[in-house]
Amino acid sequence: MLTRRAIIGSGLAALLPLPVPGLRHLAFAETGPEKPILIVLHLRGGCDGLNFISPATDPHFIEARASELRVAADGKDAGHALAGGPDAKIDFRLHAAAGGLAELYQSGQLAFIHAAGLTDGTRSHFVATDMIEHGVADAAGLTRTPSGWLARSLHADTHGAVPVISASAAPSNDLAGFGAALAVPDLGGGVAPAGGPQVAEMLRQLYAKGDGKPNAAGRSALATLGLVDARLPRDAKGQVQPYQPDPAAHYEPAQDFARPLKAVAQLIKLDLGLEAATLDLGGWDTHEYQPGRFQQAMAKLSNGVAAFWNDLAPYHDRMILVTVTEFGRRLRSNKSAGTDHGRAGVMAVLGGKVRGGRFYGAWPGLEPEKLDEGVDLAVATDYRRVLTELLEAREGRRLDGVFQGYAYPGGLGLFGDRAAVGRG
Amino acid sequence: MIDAAFALARLGLGARPGEAAGLDPRHWLEAQLAPPPGDDPGVAARLDRARLKIKYNEGDSAKNQKWAAMDEMRPLTTLAQPIDQLWPLFDKEQHDGAERRRPLLEVMAATLIRAAHSDYPLRERMVGFWHDHFNVDAWDQEQVAVALPTYDRDVIRRHALGNFRQFLEAVASSTAMLYYLSNRSSRAGSANENYARELFELHTLGRDAYLNDKYDRWREVPGALDGKPAGYIDQDVYEAARALTGWTVEDGSGIDGHRKLPSTGRFAYVDVWHDGYQKRVLATEFDAFQPAQADGRKVLDLVAHHPATARFICTKLVRRLAADDPPPALVQKAVAAWTKYRDAPDQIARTLRAIATAPEFAASRGRKLRRPVELVVAFVRATGMELTPTEPLFNELANAGQRLYGYPAPTGLADQAEAFLGANAMRRRWLILLALADNNWGTGSIDPPPPLMAATPRQAASFWLQAMLGGADPADTEAIAVAIGQPDQPIGPPGAPDTRKRLARAAAFAAMSPGFQSC
Repeated sequence: MLTRRAIIGSGLAALLPLPVPGLRHLAFAETGPEKPILIVLHLRGGCDGLNFISPATDPHFIEARASELRVAADGKDAGHALAGGPDAKIDFRLHAAAGGLAELYQSGQLAFIHAAGLTDGTRSHFVATDMIEHGVADAAGLTRTPSGWLARSLHADTHGAVPVISASAAPSNDLAGFGAALAVPDLGGGVAPAGGPQVAEMLRQLYAKGDGKPNAAGRSALATLGLVDARLPRDAKGQVQPYQPDPAAHYEPAQDFARPLKAVAQLIKLDLGLEAATLDLGGWDTHEYQPGRFQQAMAKLSNGVAAFWNDLAPYHDRMILVTVTEFGRRLRSNKSAGTDHGRAGVMAVLGGKVRGGRFYGAWPGLEPEKLDEGVDLAVATDYRRVLTELLEAREGRRLDGVFQGYAYPGGLGLFGDRAAVGRG
Repeated sequence: MIDAAFALARLGLGARPGEAAGLDPRHWLEAQLAPPPGDDPGVAARLDRARLKIKYNEGDSAKNQKWAAMDEMRPLTTLAQPIDQLWPLFDKEQHDGAERRRPLLEVMAATLIRAAHSDYPLRERMVGFWHDHFNVDAWDQEQVAVALPTYDRDVIRRHALGNFRQFLEAVASSTAMLYYLSNRSSRAGSANENYARELFELHTLGRDAYLNDKYDRWREVPGALDGKPAGYIDQDVYEAARALTGWTVEDGSGIDGHRKLPSTGRFAYVDVWHDGYQKRVLATEFDAFQPAQADGRKVLDLVAHHPATARFICTKLVRRLAADDPPPALVQKAVAAWTKYRDAPDQIARTLRAIATAPEFAASRGRKLRRPVELVVAFVRATGMELTPTEPLFNELANAGQRLYGYPAPTGLADQAEAFLGANAMRRRWLILLALADNNWGTGSIDPPPPLMAATPRQAASFWLQAMLGGADPADTEAIAVAIGQPDQPIGPPGAPDTRKRLARAAAFAAMSPGFQSC
């Protein structure tokens, strides 16, 4: 049990938290209730779902796309075969660089929803991202909905010390309106303010008053950073020790995606009551040179998610990870060996209680008359349907009000008849 | 009209010691809106003196790499070079990758020197604004890094206070943008829509004018049948992409079996890559087979002069200069000036004058968060320190949320406070100020004014709070004084290194307070 006395004894009294606005209850216990953890991974830039998981043998697909922008069904570059595809007549293939995801699918923990996305027809990154992060489906929804869908889903009266992390420089907009979102891309080296306890105490006093944005942000930072820093393992000299992932976890040496994944994994293990996390992986806006760029991004995604999963074995039944992207890309490729902005994409759902190893949702097909505006894979599954199902599984009950105005048609069955996640 | 302190803080980049006293803000503003071309003598001398480390290993002869090991403090040699002098850096047998990143680092260093020391800080503020508006990511593609000196010098700085239509064409034909938004590889037949889409959405009309529910039903766009469509649709993006095919870079690509482009990095128009057939953009018909670049220029005319563009850009200008939530009355005044002086060579300067002299602007005092670079620059200006840019400083600015010329998305760096107020971002802001005061990164030392040498911590705290915030709250003074030492005892022997260090830290402590985070 980490008590005030223990902190004082370790010379970290200056890091003790002040009350944080927006946090009604600061549980300061070793372990809180075993809350499920929802991890939202944004694939920024518009991930080409048709290159992620190709309908490899569909003649319309073969006709419309340069071969290097399709996953092959045979030959040396063949992608991973996926049983249980959304159309039995078509051989759906996962990108060859996604070996880690293929294993998770085959072991039944990862499910795919193809042809998922926004019902609104926007092909703008920034409008689509805003709509998804705010949990709405049109421009009118954006103007009346200032908060993020993930923030609205965290409605409980009590939270642990650090309920939410954005493993990025600033909190993701799905958390807009949630006062106490911690935005930290990296825990390595500790997160206490520089300058030692004296400077921390000075900052606490300078930021104790005032309702300006920097004042509130400073207060919140001092409180949460102190809590997290106090939990980080230290050596005999008091230096923060580097994070040691589980030996089964093989994070890539390139740090840009591994670092935030490790920050989330470590924070989960610190037992500070984490309920939700957001992460970003960019590199999907492949207007040119898609074959190489997509391959790199896919390898990063697959290796990173597999390492993260292996790092957190004791937490699998409490974890749900979902990927979202603003849109898929055009069926026809352009002459820059790339694809332009399209409509439907792929969502992936990973978790110990997910009934994986199969696809959910309908496959609209790529026949010309089935395409959105005659050019793009149509959206068959509203992204809000998937997210609602995840939230209801997390809560173990029906939820209202997170996606205002959305008529939820019921779940896709992502969790089969298993118990609600993390609540038994 | 606003007072001198606010003018220097918000339109400039922070007051220097004593600068506000006796300064006539109206006169100052007029000088800022029409700076002489090029750098002022103080900045020019500092750019000449500046050195930035470059270090790499000898080339690998097994890979036919022919360069020698390098480890030197090198002047900023690339800033004045034309693109064709820098383009040979792509000979990968002759040059280590660090040489291709070098132009980017030199522009970063020059950016900080100019911001910290220029006599024309409003121009530097606007250069920053336009770099965000016409964002490129020089950390992602080497070609953008090598093209950055010319992009900064010949495109952004040349037009920062000038005419938007001319500015837009300079951007559209710049090597940096042609690579970053990949119009360079766009070809007739199946054009690459990347640049065309962001041209509408981010550079001109803005997302509020994107009427995506109309998709290809252009006749349904309000005003379209009178040739004045209220906004744009996906089909406009597709057509504009066609109009801009053939705008490319001399990158050595083959044109056909016999001809290839030279490899200079300069702009080129290649007619056989242009889609010459008729088009319709923003309800305006384009005839087939127009002269070279005429289709692209017609698109730039249409988008530059669209009323939605005036609204979109003036809203952004007001957000940058006044407040995160732009006051509509102030935006209207800016739009009126922008539109009235549409064809003036100083259209942008005239728009800035309209903003800066409006009462709504004066009312925005204290409402704008300083982004990380502004925080550093305001601190440097307030303390009068001589800033030496170094790579550790660049890296910490990135950790605080502002990697110069390295924002990946074409929106450019955000201009709302929330983007810079995450817990870790706050921690990094504090850390940077402390490290500057302690000179941890070789960025230069702070010379406290001589009368301060005999001060007590309380007097030092009060002095710096007064200098930076225009007033010293007693509780803040006390908190800072206690962190420096015994509040009412002399800090130490005047002139002793430890006394200097504590006085410099006192400056950082004052700058770490909430009041200095905004202006």
